[in-house]
Amino acid sequence: MHRIALVLLIVLTMLGTACSGNTPTPAPTQPASPTQAPEPTAVPAQPEQSGVLPEVNPLEVSGNVVTAGSSTVYPLAERMAERFYDEGFKGQITIDSIGSGAGYERFCKTGETDVANASRPIKDSEVESCAAIGRTPIEFRVGTDALAVVVSQQNDFVTDVTMEELALIFGNAAEKWSDVRAEWPAENILRFIPGTDSGTFDYFVEEVFAKDKEPHLSAANTQLSEDDNVLVQGIMGSPYAIGYFGYAYYAENTGTLKVLSINGIEATSETVDNNTYPLARPLFLYSDAKIMQEKPQVAAYINFFLAYVNEEVVDVGYFPASETALLAAQQAWVEAVQ
Amino acid sequence: MVSQVNTRPYANETLTHRAALRRRPKISETLIQGFLFLCGALSILVTVGIVYELGKESLLFFTRQQWEETNRTLVEPMDAAQTTFKMTETGMGFGIGDTIRLRREATEVIDIRGDVVTVERAHQNTTAEAHTVGVEIELSRQVTLAEFFTKTEWNPQIGKYGIWALVNATLMTSFTAIIVALPLGLCVAIYLSEYASTRVRSTLKPLLEVLAAVPTVVYGYFALTFMTPLLRAIFGVNTVEIYNTASAGIVIGVLILPLVSSMAEDALSAVPQSLRQAAYSLGATRLETAVKVVVPAALSGIAAAFIVAISRAIGETMVVAIAAGAGPAFTFNPFKAAETMTGHIVRISGGDLSYDSMDYNSIFAIGLMLFFMTLGLNILSQRIVKRFREEYE
Repeated sequence: MHRIALVLLIVLTMLGTACSGNTPTPAPTQPASPTQAPEPTAVPAQPEQSGVLPEVNPLEVSGNVVTAGSSTVYPLAERMAERFYDEGFKGQITIDSIGSGAGYERFCKTGETDVANASRPIKDSEVESCAAIGRTPIEFRVGTDALAVVVSQQNDFVTDVTMEELALIFGNAAEKWSDVRAEWPAENILRFIPGTDSGTFDYFVEEVFAKDKEPHLSAANTQLSEDDNVLVQGIMGSPYAIGYFGYAYYAENTGTLKVLSINGIEATSETVDNNTYPLARPLFLYSDAKIMQEKPQVAAYINFFLAYVNEEVVDVGYFPASETALLAAQQAWVEAVQ
Repeated sequence: MVSQVNTRPYANETLTHRAALRRRPKISETLIQGFLFLCGALSILVTVGIVYELGKESLLFFTRQQWEETNRTLVEPMDAAQTTFKMTETGMGFGIGDTIRLRREATEVIDIRGDVVTVERAHQNTTAEAHTVGVEIELSRQVTLAEFFTKTEWNPQIGKYGIWALVNATLMTSFTAIIVALPLGLCVAIYLSEYASTRVRSTLKPLLEVLAAVPTVVYGYFALTFMTPLLRAIFGVNTVEIYNTASAGIVIGVLILPLVSSMAEDALSAVPQSLRQAAYSLGATRLETAVKVVVPAALSGIAAAFIVAISRAIGETMVVAIAAGAGPAFTFNPFKAAETMTGHIVRISGGDLSYDSMDYNSIFAIGLMLFFMTLGLNILSQRIVKRFREEYE
């Protein structure tokens, strides 16, 4: 008995020393970890870059990047910022989701921000106020947000709607399809829309209902959900159902859903890109050449954004900008830093 | 420790007087008693806590003034004395008599002509101040109890606070569930208690109770992917919507069936055997005995089972959240989508709900309403049990 206990004791002590012995050992290895030695690890960690942009090393720049603007750009900017941090950037990237207009105001009037995020092009009046504080905004197109208005594949009567009809279909004025167009069936319109917390809902209200959500929300037979699957399931379920959500979601369900063209224009990468599809809006970053030269971290952030945005943009749920637009943006970056 | 204290006097017990046994304090007994008391007290305290929290938050819902964005802004600057202002053309509408807010200042709308609004400045103890272009116009929202209990449209985002849209949907699903579960449950209970042999009963009852162990989310998808297509096949695809209260209700009925049958069976089995024998001796058949003697004798227990089942149906959440619908609607058509109280709470709280919003406060008001509904049913069930209790010695 005693012998066994002794053996156990010895084994335990050995285990104990083996375990505790581990803790002090990492100390000498620590300086070799990548955070401390940027030179050898940083370059191979960079994936291949496209276009005309010179490579930037997020490890070599420091300082903060202050951005503000569109809530639509926000998830994309957040994703890119996260990636920028992952690549080793040690400064702070502030992204305020305050809306495009307010973003321009901070960039052009108060001059508090380095970058304005926007889901609409800058207005002339805003360019003027920018000029007043000595800034010349440079536009960088980063992607496109489009809404798909969809019906079930079983629906054989709707293929095309106008914006006015959309307001009728999703508003409280029409109850049946025949109230919108006489030749459509006298069946109730079953509406499936994103929940009121979503930016998609806000954008739709803004474009189709002139910012007034009341007719949209008080329409009969309306199902709201933050979960796009619930909407897809509902729209699939009846030929008289209709709904809308980010285009990315339609792309996943092309077998069961039918996307409508609006004002006769289909959502394709071209129409979305040249802004003829009415429910598409470009997503931009705006900055200024002087800021980019004075603050290399801002230039690096925009460079990184433009170089890798196409790897993330679809995942976030938006359309990529056309190659020409992206290339133009990259060219603009090169010119700005010269 | 405890056993030591107890075993020593225990050895002498047979020798001592019986009175000593009664007087001696039993520490383990006291401990157990105290523990049981604590358990009871804890459950009561938790209930009190829940009611307090629900009440506190719902009070906010009824008393607090909320400001809703209208998506309109000033297009011209406005000084502190000016009573008319021009606003952007697009955005949410408001009417004469509404209270609106410009930054910190509350004003009352007196007149609206197109995009020109005339207001009375500095309402609600605020002071008139100058406003610049782009100042947001916010609309005041306040709920009254009268509106809450009399209107049938629920949509806090646009200032509609009629709880009946949600209560009605809850009653629709619960009613459907009861129509399914009560007759079926009672029949099962009568069969199990009066007809089935002991062996059959000992197999069937646990099998039935397995139904109660199925997670409700499974029932939800059962409703959506089996019951709804079935209803649509029977009544037509265009009559039955994909989300509807009927399929959710039927499945809740299945869900509460074991509750009804098991509790009702207990009540039926508790009826003394002598009653049945008396009935047989008077020439009654088995069916007559069951329906005319045993069921009436067990009525209070059966009623209690029914009411517990109804409470369960009202409180059921997952099935209705998945299958009943995701938009408040006041409809008596069971084949249309309608959102129940529990379903609404789930959907609203699932999004990016800010704490300082009407939606957030409203879910507590709905919760309190649910609580009162089930509390009312429980009180009713106790009354019924007392009223119809028949005691046999």
